[in-house]
This record gives sequence, structure tokens and C-alpha cells, in this order.
Amino acid sequence: MKRGPYPVGPEDDSRGNLQEGAFEDEEVREEKEGSAKYPFGPAPAEEEGTGARLARAVGRGPLHAIIIGISIAWMIPALGLLVSSFRERQAITRTGWWEAFTTPTEFTIQNYQDVLTGQGMGTAFINSVIITVPATILTVMVAALAAYAFAWMPLPGRNWWFLLVVALMVVPIQLTLIPVLRLFADLGLTGTYWGIWLAHAAYGLPLGVFLLRNFFVALPKDLLESAFLEGASHTTAFFRIVLPLSVPSLAALGIFQFLWVWNDLLIALVYLGGTRDVAPMTVVISNLVSSFGTEWHLLTAAAFVSVILPLAIFFALQRYFVQGLLAGAVKG
Amino acid sequence: MRNRMQIVAWIYVLPAFILLGAFLVYPVLRTVYWSFFGRNSESYVGLDNYQYLFTQQDVLIVFRNNLLWLVVFTGVTVGLGLILAVLTNLVRYEAVAKAVIFVPMAISFTAAAVIWRFMYVWNPASFEQTGVMNAVITTFGAEPVSWITNTSVNNYALIVAGIWMWTGFALVVISAGLKGISSEILEAARVDGANEFHIFRHILLPMLKPILVVVTVTLVINSLKVFDLVYVMTFGNFDTDVIANRMFKEMFQFGQFGRASAIAVILLVAIVPFMLFNIRRFLAER
Amino acid sequence: MARVFYENVYKRWKETVAVKDFTLEIADKEFLVLVGPSGSGKSTALRLLAGLDSISDGKIYIGDRVINDVAPKDRDIAMVFQTYALYPHMSVHDNVGFGLRLRKMPKDQIHEKVVQAAQVLGIEPLLDRKPGQLSGGQRQRVALARAIVREPKVFLLDEPLSNLDAKLRVQTRAEISKLHQRLGTTFIYVTHDQVEAMTMATQIAVMNFGVIQQVGTPQFLYDHPTNIFVAGFIGSPAMNFFEVTVTGDSDQVCLVDDNGLSLPVPAKKRRALEKYRDKKIVFGIRPEDIHDPNFVPPETEVAPFDAVVEVTELMGNEVFLHLLRGETKFLARVDPRTVAKQGTKMELMVGMDNMHAFDFESEQTIFTPEEEEPEIPKDLKRSPATGVAEGAWVTSRGSASTERAEPAPEEEGKVDLDRLVEEEPVEEQVARRQSEVPQGQADED
Repeated sequence: MKRGPYPVGPEDDSRGNLQEGAFEDEEVREEKEGSAKYPFGPAPAEEEGTGARLARAVGRGPLHAIIIGISIAWMIPALGLLVSSFRERQAITRTGWWEAFTTPTEFTIQNYQDVLTGQGMGTAFINSVIITVPATILTVMVAALAAYAFAWMPLPGRNWWFLLVVALMVVPIQLTLIPVLRLFADLGLTGTYWGIWLAHAAYGLPLGVFLLRNFFVALPKDLLESAFLEGASHTTAFFRIVLPLSVPSLAALGIFQFLWVWNDLLIALVYLGGTRDVAPMTVVISNLVSSFGTEWHLLTAAAFVSVILPLAIFFALQRYFVQGLLAGAVKG
Repeated sequence: MRNRMQIVAWIYVLPAFILLGAFLVYPVLRTVYWSFFGRNSESYVGLDNYQYLFTQQDVLIVFRNNLLWLVVFTGVTVGLGLILAVLTNLVRYEAVAKAVIFVPMAISFTAAAVIWRFMYVWNPASFEQTGVMNAVITTFGAEPVSWITNTSVNNYALIVAGIWMWTGFALVVISAGLKGISSEILEAARVDGANEFHIFRHILLPMLKPILVVVTVTLVINSLKVFDLVYVMTFGNFDTDVIANRMFKEMFQFGQFGRASAIAVILLVAIVPFMLFNIRRFLAER
Repeated sequence: MARVFYENVYKRWKETVAVKDFTLEIADKEFLVLVGPSGSGKSTALRLLAGLDSISDGKIYIGDRVINDVAPKDRDIAMVFQTYALYPHMSVHDNVGFGLRLRKMPKDQIHEKVVQAAQVLGIEPLLDRKPGQLSGGQRQRVALARAIVREPKVFLLDEPLSNLDAKLRVQTRAEISKLHQRLGTTFIYVTHDQVEAMTMATQIAVMNFGVIQQVGTPQFLYDHPTNIFVAGFIGSPAMNFFEVTVTGDSDQVCLVDDNGLSLPVPAKKRRALEKYRDKKIVFGIRPEDIHDPNFVPPETEVAPFDAVVEVTELMGNEVFLHLLRGETKFLARVDPRTVAKQGTKMELMVGMDNMHAFDFESEQTIFTPEEEEPEIPKDLKRSPATGVAEGAWVTSRGSASTERAEPAPEEEGKVDLDRLVEEEPVEEQVARRQSEVPQGQADED
């Protein structure tokens, strides 16, 4: 299979790079000290006189200024959210959050108590978990089964089927809302967990099948053939050989699907309707915005509650996380 | 034997096919069909829905906004991603800088919308500005701007939020491509007489082109589908509406299922070229 | 076309020293091969010259110009990389012409030069292809064409053959030699393969642990390795080493070991061994200097000894015998008519004229070339400025004693590059002249 610069297929070169070091690359690290003379190349780390080092540091000043400046600019919005979520209501409306540090007495956790109990974010958090976990497991399971068939089984016309899956990857889900909604109404699935689980599983499938099939295909053929020669059935090969070897890509897909469902607003909004007791956090927050658009002490706390889990995953599983997100970025 | 294997294969793909059929294939065809029907999908109206959409002033603004997203959001995100990829490649704290810029990818558009609404808070000029944007510009003596409601800036204000979320994606993908270029090639160019600008122009850019195309296509598709940010930040008011949000409105606010279907079809038509691009790329890789 | 001169060059990375007190003069039109095991600093030395790594200390001259702070593009060098480093998005034509294009040469002139270079390397039919469509050998030629098209003063080649298969490697080796003769430019060639060094070089510099061990013509290095490292590195199969003790008096010197070995030393080698009497030394003998008693070449002073034949390898034109004496394994390369039975003891003859001997402690050679080769002047002493890494070298057992406190016992045994270039042994001068085919003749292919 010819390799392209496609950031999706697990057997892709560029992917390999992402996997190995989306944020860290040992090899180049040594070359980093690099001179401004050679911005694009191996710029050797080495001992040198203080004079040379100073000259270099000055020459690289603008470079550092740009990168650090942009990094700080990127952190400011989220920092504002975090700081404000711990400030008293009056303080937020009176002064900018960056002034909070001069009067630390204004800090409080009252906002969190309010949103979690008074505004239903506590229930919504649980709803988000109830929606997300089964939807993720369902997607990964169904996708893995189909991907295995596409990769290793004599499915007639499997390449055409697979092409259809690739095409479905970018179909906007807006095109499916009305018919599915009517289907749900007929089946009584509107506003139920089952409805949203199935919907999320279906929308996550094209990407999941695509990813896993590409990974399965890249497994060594000899491995499966020797298993078959020893009398293994497809079911045995799938569960005993393919799945254990595919843990990284299963994890990547799982993380992407988890975040996708966790962060989804549209599908929950449409298929759960106005049913408050099953609404996930995104729906609750958007309702808060339209009803208390300027109650920043509530909005910031609610928003922060909703990002805790994704951030935790980001920092704990950075590698799989980046891989999964990049893989899923093409998805609608 | 082979027949039995085929049956097993069908069993493996059956759950996927049922779900895809019920939630994607059938609904898409149904939506296309219903786009030629009236508000309750009962009476055939031909192209009336499309005619309405392409003549209605506020819908034309919707299309204009999506075009704005497509050009500005995609252009700036790819450009910034490329520049940052090249620059972060030169410093030791590359991993940290990339992580900081990538983090917004993790959170929901809903949370991002709250974050940016808060960034854009506007208070009358006589009061202290509590939104970062207005605090910054008033420091330089400018009048505070109502970023969300002022129709000359609000689309860009929304797009900035989108850029904040997606630059990390462009950065990480392009950076991976950059690391895939062997250092020997750059050294060879240097020995051949290239200065750093030559290397960027004649070596790096052409070699990164395939990956830049992939990033651009991905971002274009996302710019066409943008929904949550607009829904939460403005609900499409103040001339900031976009196709996906307009469809939602037609559906739930106006109960116009025919027009909603037609908008969805227009969205599909806009995305089809990029879908074909994906398929072609997939076929080329085999 | 220029001479290259490294003057006490150092390259330090954070904690390690990649190249240490590197002093080497490469005369104009020389084909110098830097050879050494991986990690010996040979590639770094080349990259310092190319300007791809910066010099920590010392100076490098091209011609009379110090190029320490000159950008690579202004050094008037061309380099062939191990991976060829062809620009994947450009056609072969544009790859070859890229350097000229950057120098703002008119298009038609570039084309002319590119075609010319392509003709020299026989890649004219490939000019419109992309590197991805070429075979390894073809890519290698494109890389060479890209280097010659700019007519640089110095060619640098960094392991250019290591990605080719064995057959192509032999073929390309000859072609690079031919290219050198034809261009009449300085070539500096890095390799870990001593066969490449022996076959192509006019001068070889052997490196280990960042330090030059010895510099000289291929033949000289083969005949007079200065230490155990060079002795073991140059020549294939490698030299055999035995730990022996020197015994006897001025009339009769013998090398003996605990297993009953006793080899008489030829008269002209005795004097140097005198001060090692009753001491341990390392005795070295090349596999080709161990003979079957039935097929000893004429006029060879031999000494008999025996060994157990472990394995025989029939090569057709010769036989390799894997031998065992006590616990020492060694190899002999004997006449193809030799009959040897595996597992039996066999009588052998050692050609003692070609014996080598090394100090047991310093591993430095005990014999000096001038003692054996009277045509080299006696006063062959290194001048401090051009000396090869003074007393700094490394044992073949890998103990990296790069800095030795006391000078090696036979200081004058070291070789002075300058002197050797000027005053190489007569036979070699003859051989050299024979190999220097006039330009016109080389053109005919």
C-alpha cells in the first residue's frame, strides 16, 4: 500500500510520527540548541563560550517572543474562565478577572455549589457519563467487528462497501436529523438514552471502521495465516490475536469517540428534546447561556465542570488523545 | 466452506450496516427527498424550498457567513499552524508550546463559546471593562466594542474563537509532517547554496504541500459544518447565522421541515467535492 | 581544487568529544578516505568541513581561507549524503540543477551543465523522473551528478555506497575512482568499510574514538600499522594477534608462549625487540602470512608451528583455515591445494618477514618503518604542528585510553603525512603514476 501524507490511517508514516511524539521528539531534542543561522536544520547542541551563547540568545529573542507570546495568548481565555469561576458574583461584574489576585478574599467555591445543585450541573454530569460511556463502547465494538471483516474476511465487494464508509465519514449529520427524529418518534426513542446511544454509535462508525480497518490490514499477514493453519477460526483470531494487538488504535478511537460524545451539543439537543432529566452538560450550559447570559459566576463554573474530564484525559493519555483527536478531526 | 465464511463475514458487518443504514444512508436519502416537499413533508413543492432559500435576504447572509468562515477561519488556522510548526521546531520547549495550543481541541465548543463570550464582555465606556478584549483595546484608548452584537466585527469575533480551538490541530499535523522531512535533505540544500528562505520556499513548502492540503480540506469541511459555537454564542442573531444553525432554526423554531431539509442538502452539496477528494486520496493510497 | 587543512580541530557535544585534536592536511587532488568504526567521529569531521556542524575549537582551511565561520553555501564544496538526500518533489533535472539555480545561473546554461553532468554519470534518460521512481543505484548517480555539476573545490562523500547492494557497490567504487581521476579535484570520503578505503584512497586516515590513529597510503597502512587498532582494522580478514614473550640473546631471538610456541625472529627485526627481552609483547601476523608447509612462497623466511584445524572454508582460489592454539583462535589464508582435515592437528609455517609486534601495554608498534625501509630518511619525526594525535590512541580491546601520560615507546614510528606524500616509497610512487590515467584517456567511456 502506498503511503500518503494522510494523518488518519494508522499505518501512515506521518501518523507514526504523531504517535511517537506529537509533543515530544527525542531525536530533534538534541539538535534544538540550534543556531538562528539554521532554523530548519539540525542545529547542534554544544559547548560554547558565553559570548557566543549571548549573541545567539539575542538573535533568537524575537523567536522566543513570538512563541511565548502566542502560547500565553492561547492560555488567557481559559485562565479567565478558571479564575472567574472562583470569584464572587459582584467581584466578576465589578472588575476584570486579572485583578482578582490583588483581593484574594473574593475567592469562593459558592459558584460550584450553585451550578452543581441549583442549576442541575451535577445531574447533567452524571447524564453525560451515562450517555458517553455506553455510546463509546458500542461504537468501538461494532466498528472493530466490521473492520475485521473488511480487513480479513471474504466479504463480497468489500472494497466498495468500504468506499461507502469513507464517503459517509464527512456526511454532515444535519442531513440525518429530520428522518431520524421521525423514526425515533415512531419507535418511542425520543428523549431516551437508547436513542442517543444508537445515534452516537452510528455517527461514530464510519471513522471507527476506517481507522481500525487500516490498522488491522497492516497487521502481519503471516501472523493470522499461521493462526488459521493451527486451526483458529475467525472468531478466535479476532479476539485472541487482532484485538490484543490493536490496543493502541482501539484506545485512540475510544478516546476520540468519548470526547466527541462528551462534547456533543447538536445530537443531544435534537434527539433528547427538552427532556431536562436526561440532558448532558453541553445542553444545560447552552440553556444557562440563553437564560442567564451575563451571570458569569454560574457560566464559568459550569463550563469548567464540563471541561475537567477532557483535560484530565488530555494530560493523562496525551499520546492516545492526540492520536485519536487527529484521526477524528476529519469527521463531521 | 467459502460460503460459510461469507456468512460469518456478513454477521460481522451486520451491526455496523444496520446502524449506518438506519442513521446515515436512509436518512440522507430521505432528507434529499423531503427537500422537495412542504413544511410537513406531505405536499410535493418541487424546487420551491431552494428558490426560497436562495432569494431570502437573511439566508443569503447565512451563505456569506459560511464563506467568511471558509476563507478566514481556514486561511488563518492553516497559516498560523504552519508558522507555529516551523517556529516551535526550533525551540526546546516545543512540547509545552504545542500542548498549550492544542489543549482547546479537547474541550467542547459549548465551553469554548462560554469562554469567548466572556472574553468579549462589553460594558459601557464609563464602567470598567471586565472582558479581556475590551480591556486591552481601551488600554490603548479605543472605545469598547460590543464584539457579539456589532455586525461589522461579530463574525470575525466568532471566527477567532474557532481559530483558537483548531490551530492546535493544524500545528500538530504540520509539525509531524515537518519532522518527517529528513535533515539530510535540508543539509544537502544548504551545501547546494540555499539560504533559510530558499529552504522554506523551495524545500519545506513543496514537501509539506500534501499535508497542508489535507489540513486545509479538513478545516474547510469543519468551517462548512460549524454549529455549536454560533448556536451558543449568538444563536445566529446579529447577522452571524451559519448554514447548520439556520437548519436547526428552520426545524425547531419555524417548523419548516422542507426548508430545513433543503438547507441540509445545500450543505451536503458544498461538502461533496471534499468528500470526493477524500475518496480519491483513499484510492490513491491503496 | 584546493588543499584542505584541519588544524587542531575539536568538536564537543554536551558531554562527549566527537573529534579530538584533529590535525590533517589533505593535498590538492588527493582522494582521502576517512575510515573508522561507527562512532569514531569520521562523519563529524566531514560535517565540520561541510559547515553542517560548528567547530568547537581549532581551524579548518580550504585553500588558504579559514572557513570556520563561512556558511556551507559559500564554502565551494559539494556533498553526497548517505541517504542521497534527493529533493523528492523535484525532477532529476531540477535536483541536479538546484544549486546552480540558487546561484542565479541562466536557465539554458543550467540545462547545459545538467545534461553534461548527467552524461558523465549515464543518467541522461532519467532527467524527467522524480527520485521516487529511481532505483537505489540510480539515485546514487543523481546524488553524484548533483555534486559534480557545480564544479566545487572539494567533494565530500559520506558513506555513499552503504545503501547499495554488494554487486553495485563494487561497480560504483570503480566509478567513483574514475570520477576522481577525471575531475582532478580533492575528494574526501567517509566510510566504515576498510575495503572501500583500501581500493579507492590515495591517502587513508584511520580514526577511532574521535582521534586520528594513522594516516598514510593504503599500502603503507597495510604494511606498517602503527598500533593494534589499525593493524586489526585494515586488511580483511583481520590480522591475528598472539600474546608472546621475547626470549633469547642477540644472536637468537624467539617468541614463545605457554603452549610450546617458539618462533625465531628474522635478523633484521631483532634489534627493535632487544629491549623487550623477557617481556610480553603482542605478536601480529596476517592470515596470508601463514602458509601450508608444502606451498611456502619462495624466498620467505618461515618458522614452523602447529594448530588444530577447527573449520576449513574453501573459497576456490584460496582456503581459509579456522585454527586453534590453546585458547587462541586465529585464521590462515592458504594455498587452495592445501589438504586440511577438520579436527586434526596441522603443521603450518609463519612468514616471519611480515611479522608485526606491538608493545603489550601501549599497543603501539615496536617496529618502525625506517628500520625496515632504509629509503625513508631516519629523521622522520613528527613536527608538533602536523603530528598525528600525539601519543593519543586507543587500544583494540576498546579501553579508551585516549590520553596517555607517557609517550609511546617508539615515537618516531608514527607517520608524518607531509613527508609521506612527498617521499613515499619508490614502488608506491610507481604504482601511483600507473594509476593516474591522463584525463583524455578516461574520457573515452
